[in-house]
Order: sequence, then C-alpha cells, then structure tokens
Amino acid sequence: MRRATRLSRALRIARAGVAIWLIYKVPALLRRVFRRPPPDDLGPSHERAARVLLSAALDLRGVVIKVCQVVATRSDVFPPAIVRELKQLHDAVPPKPFAVIREAIERELGKPLDAVFAAFDETPLASASLAQVHRARLHDGREVAVKVQYPEIETIVRGDLEEIRRACRLYERLDPQPLELLPLLTELATHLALELDFRREADSADRVREIFADDPSVVVPRIHREWSTSRVLVMELVGGLKVTDRDALAAAGIDPADVVQDLMRVFVRMILAAGFFQADPHPGNLFVRRDATHGRQLVLLDFGLSKELPDGFGMGLFELMFSMMTWNEAAMIRAFRELGFETRTGDPSTFVGIARRMMRRSDTGRFEGELTEEMTDELFEAIRENPVVRVPSDFVLVGRVFSLLSGIGHTLGRRANVLEAMGASTR
Amino acid sequence: MDLAASATASDRLDFSADDLLASEEGLAPLLANGVRCHGGFDADGRYRSPRTRHRTPAIRAWQERLLREGGELLQVAPELVPPQYPNVAQSKLLLGAGVRDPIVRALTTIAIVEGFGAIIRDVRVPELARLVREPLDGTAAAHLGRGLFEAHARDEAGHRDEGGHKQMWEAARDLAFESPRIPPDVLMRLLGRRGAGRERRRAFPSLDEALEGMLATMVNVLVIEIFAARTFEWGIALLSDPEVSAKPAEAGAMVSYIRSDESPHVEYLRTALSELRARTFVTCDGQDLSGRQVVDGLLHRSLRVLTTSRPAEQRAETRSSLADAMKAAGARSGLLEEFDALETPFTPPERTGFESAS
Repeated sequence: MRRATRLSRALRIARAGVAIWLIYKVPALLRRVFRRPPPDDLGPSHERAARVLLSAALDLRGVVIKVCQVVATRSDVFPPAIVRELKQLHDAVPPKPFAVIREAIERELGKPLDAVFAAFDETPLASASLAQVHRARLHDGREVAVKVQYPEIETIVRGDLEEIRRACRLYERLDPQPLELLPLLTELATHLALELDFRREADSADRVREIFADDPSVVVPRIHREWSTSRVLVMELVGGLKVTDRDALAAAGIDPADVVQDLMRVFVRMILAAGFFQADPHPGNLFVRRDATHGRQLVLLDFGLSKELPDGFGMGLFELMFSMMTWNEAAMIRAFRELGFETRTGDPSTFVGIARRMMRRSDTGRFEGELTEEMTDELFEAIRENPVVRVPSDFVLVGRVFSLLSGIGHTLGRRANVLEAMGASTR
Repeated sequence: MDLAASATASDRLDFSADDLLASEEGLAPLLANGVRCHGGFDADGRYRSPRTRHRTPAIRAWQERLLREGGELLQVAPELVPPQYPNVAQSKLLLGAGVRDPIVRALTTIAIVEGFGAIIRDVRVPELARLVREPLDGTAAAHLGRGLFEAHARDEAGHRDEGGHKQMWEAARDLAFESPRIPPDVLMRLLGRRGAGRERRRAFPSLDEALEGMLATMVNVLVIEIFAARTFEWGIALLSDPEVSAKPAEAGAMVSYIRSDESPHVEYLRTALSELRARTFVTCDGQDLSGRQVVDGLLHRSLRVLTTSRPAEQRAETRSSLADAMKAAGARSGLLEEFDALETPFTPPERTGFESAS
C-alpha cells in the first residue's frame, strides 16, 4: 500500500474517532459549564456516533467494515442504538471493479483467467468486506463459485488495525470511564487473520461437511483445491433459494417452519455436539433447495469465520441453554461458571441476578423452549448491567449465531423450538 | 405406584394448577453431590417425591371414579418391556475390565433424555370440551394443562433452585464413578439428528390435529415411562454394587428416588388416556369416533416401534462403539465375546394387546 494512501486512511480513521469523541464530550462539557443534569437518554448521541462510524466504514471498507460488523454483534458491550445502526453493514458492501478482481486471480493462479475458466461472470454474486464471489465455469464444464480476496487487503487490514488500536489507546487514556475496546480489537485481529487465509476456510468447509457426513439434508460445497490458494477459493457452485425468501419457499412447497427448525437443528449439532461451527449464518450464507433423492436440503456457505470451541464448551453451553429453557436457575448458575464467566467480586449473586432476570421473563409469558433474539439481547443487557468482568468470547460468537438464526425465524414468521432441535421428542 | 398407601383418602376431583404443583411441607432437603434436588425427607427419614401433596391423592381419586363408573385402567403387558442393554452383568464386566466410557455415556444419555422430558409442558392441550362428546369435569384429562404436564416437566428437568431427574441421574453417575470424564461424543450421538421430533404421520386424519398430537405424545411418554422400569432396575442394581460403585448406598438410593418420582407420571398418563378411551371424540366434520379406537390405535403403533425397531437400533449403536471403547481402555482380547454371551435374550411378543383398534 502506498504511503500516501496509508496516511489518508489513518487521517480518515482519526477524523472519525475525533468526531465520535466530540459527539459525547461537547454536550458533557456544556452541561458542566451550565450545570445541567445529565440526559436520561443517550440514544440520540449513540445514533449520531454510529452514523459517523457507518460513513467511515463505507469510505474505507476492509477492516473498518469488519470492526463495525463486530460492534454490531456486541450488544453486551455497546448500546442498542449503535448496534442497530451498524447492523446495516451486514448487507451493504459495494463490489470492486472486475478488472481489479481479474488481476488478483491471474496473479494468484499464475495463469490467464481463461486458462482456468471457460466462462467467468464479471458481475459478482456477492461482495463483502474482504472478498467478493463470482460465478464461473471450468473447462470440464463444472459450474463453480470463485471467491477472490481484494488486492492488498492484508496490508490494509494490518495498517488499519494499527491505526484503530492507536485511536483506542488514546480514547482509553482520555476517557475517565472507557469501554474496554482493546480486547475486542485483539479478538477481531485474530479472526481476521483466520479469515484472510482461504486454505483454512477450505479446511473448515471440509470439516463441517464431515460433521454432516451421515445427514444428506445438509450441503457444504466441495472445494476445488487444485485451483485454490490462500487468496482465491474455487468451489462447487450450489444454488438454492435464499433462506429468507418466503415467496420462493412457498412456491417450492417448502414450509418455512421446517426451514427454521432445520437451521436450529444444524447449528445445535455443530455448536453443542461437534464443537466446530460456521459462525456467520447471515441470510446471504444460507440457501434452501429441494433434492429429488434427499428432499429438503440446507446449503451452508462461507466458512471464513468458523470456530473451534474448547473441550467441554459444548456441554457447558448445552447445560446453559437447557437450564434457561427449563427454568432451572441453579443449573444455570453452574453452567455460567463452567463456561468461564467471572464476576468482579467472585460473588455468585450476580449470576443469581442474571438468572432470576431470565426466569422472570419466562414467568411473564409462555416460553415454549425457545431461545429468541429478544432473550439473547436481554441476557446481554443483564450482563452489561451486572458486574460480570469476563464473558467468554466464544460465548459471544455463539450468542451472535443464535441471534442471527432467530432473526431469520422472525423474517420467516416462524419460531424454532430449541429443545426439539436438540432432539428432545416426546413423540 | 401404591397410590392407596401414599395418599390420603379424598373425594375431591377438582384441583388448581397450584394444588397439583404443591409439595409436602417441612421436608429435609435432598442434596446430591452438592446439588440441591427436588423432593426431600419426612420426619421418619422417608423420601417424599416433589409436587405430590395433592397430585397423588388427586390421581387416586380420578382412578377410583373411573373404575366406579365402569371404566378400566389400561395396562401394558410386562412381557412387552425390552431388557436393558447392556444389562447389569454386561455392565459389570465392562467396568471390571476398565471400560468405563460406555456406562458413563449411557448414564449421561439417560440424564439428558430425562431432562428432555420437560418438553411435555409445550404440548398443546386443545379445547377438550369441544372435541370430546361426554363431559370431562373432575377427571385427570381435564387437568393436563392445569398442572399435570407442568409438574411432570418440573420433575424431569428441575425447576428454579432444585435439580430434577436430569441432575439426579448426573449426581448418581458422579457419586458412583467419582465425577468421571464424560465421553465427548455424547452430544454428537444425541443432538440435531434429522427428523428429531418433527415429522409425524397422522393415524387419525379426521381427528383434530392438536388432539391427535397430544394423545400421541401422551401415549409415547407413557410407554417410555413404563419401559424405563428396566432402566431403574439396572441403575439401582449397578450403582449400589460396591464392586463397581464408589458410593453404593448414595448412588443407588438416588436412582430409587427418581423411580418413585416417576410413578405419578405413569399413573396420571394412563388415567387420563383411560378416561379418554372410555369417551367419544368428535371429528373435524362432526362425526363420532370411538376413544378406544384412537387410544388403542396409537398405543399399538407406539408399542410396535418401541418393542422392535427402537431396541434394535439402540443395541446396534451401543455395540458398534464397544470395540473402540475396549481398545481405548486396553481391554483384554475376548472381552467382546464374553460381553455378548451375557446378553439378555429378548423376542418381542407377537401381539401388543391393542391390535383390535388398528
């Protein structure tokens, strides 16, 4: 990356950082000067700050979009107004021109594009923060999807992370009660390093396919390793209906309730049972199709963000989810501890408080063994309000997955029963 | 269950949900391996099941009324119950040879499956007054959604600060085998399999779907609860055996407490099903359909599956992992053959006793 580009990106990041800081600090200063009480609701300030972040992300793309996407998943740390605004970035990343993509592929594969592909669609199927995907055909006639990493993205990511880290350090020094942003950034850097290695993504796809080797209702596209590198991934093109397209599902005779239940079942199996999961189940990464032999199938795409859970974590999560769904407060507290949650004082009353809050919610309405988006949000809100000093990052990622799945359920107007998805059956 | 011995005589037939969820007062708590569990001990040191203060006399009163009115309590023939696999002798053989994983896995699976029993609280109870020709006042069937399903769910999965059967089986396992390592494949074998809990073939399409769903669920749970008698016998015999159990008295007693808690489940389910069996259902197009035909048809279907294909599948799955478990534990050669030789033979009876309706 050119020095001037790097400087201009650093300045843009700094400009956004200062703007956000001023959004919060200028009113606080004015209040102090005019001796006014603090506002009841910081929502408008949060919304303005989120819009500044959003604009910077769309200008700079790459890691800044990633940072915003991570912020949008951390409702345990950030206020709802910010989370809500930045959620838009999950679907709104403009693509790079084809010439740039062509050059990147040819450089990676060491051959002209037409030496590998008989046909290549210049319009991308999808574009994201680090890469975009094109449809193509190999010379043997097989249809493929080609995922191409943006040129120089690794250098851009490294440089941007450095600048953001610097801005965070400055913020933590200046703010008397700072949010702990540096650990989040470290976590993001770890995930980004993994996502930028497409060979690892290929391995993850193979691993998830193996988990469902005995289940033809789950499809994971096969990777063409001979044409794949750490920056280009060529995989089997698997079509299907977008998981949230209700009309298309209805036209294909597929009941949305079955789709929602399938989704929950598949992710429960990956997360709780196998301890390895695709951690980014947004609607763009999930298709549904009907197969002549196997019936309804769920297609899983994009394994860039896949995660291995530590030994025993799946069982701990199972216990937590199970206890939440069966209103067993004591078991919930044990599960919190087993998962590695820590309170500031080591006093279990914080967990009791969180657990009781969840239980109270259950009392107000019929819960029906469901883990809803609202419930996940409520849990994070409870954690934010109580002095829990350690929320395991794996838990956050898993919470985000269930939140995304519940969001899909909302879109389809159907709810999943997690107990049933786990295999609980009285029939 | 000896309801007569454990209940106070009562003519009362109507109860609130709170009544059916009420426990005896003044019991000493049951603590199992550091976990507070439901139930407790009376002044004589006898274990008393949770939520039975009114539930037990209520079930007895409903049963007496049914018999008084000429009805009959349905019975599942004991010879239909398949043996536990592995049985006590086979389990002891494995444990004696240092092959612990299959037994620990089995106990963990039992605990989880018991916990899953809580899903019964999600069963939709339809408006029975509209779907059953005769009145149901003062029956167990009228109380399913008014405390009976909820009490059952709480017994299985625990509630609030008390553990239920899930936690009690775990405690029994941890007492007997000193908090053993849980085989990491337990959840992989149990969770997220296709078809789990969803698709159901309608046996009586003319019947209200929710009513058939509820009846099918009750029938399946009843059969599973009756068949669990073998599991309790196995658990008590194995975990109270000092040759294999580190805390034989406590671990064995824990399973016996669970067994006594399960009795009200069998009794309320068979009472309510018997009450409905003695009545007439109203089909979607307003026709009459004999309750006996429906309940017996569902029982026959459930018993057929649970006495034939299900035990065979479970046996095949358990046995398929034994060779690996033996190898991992460095067991002697010939152990698998010895294990097979100890198996309890079982040939499912030709008839379930409920064929007439099918």
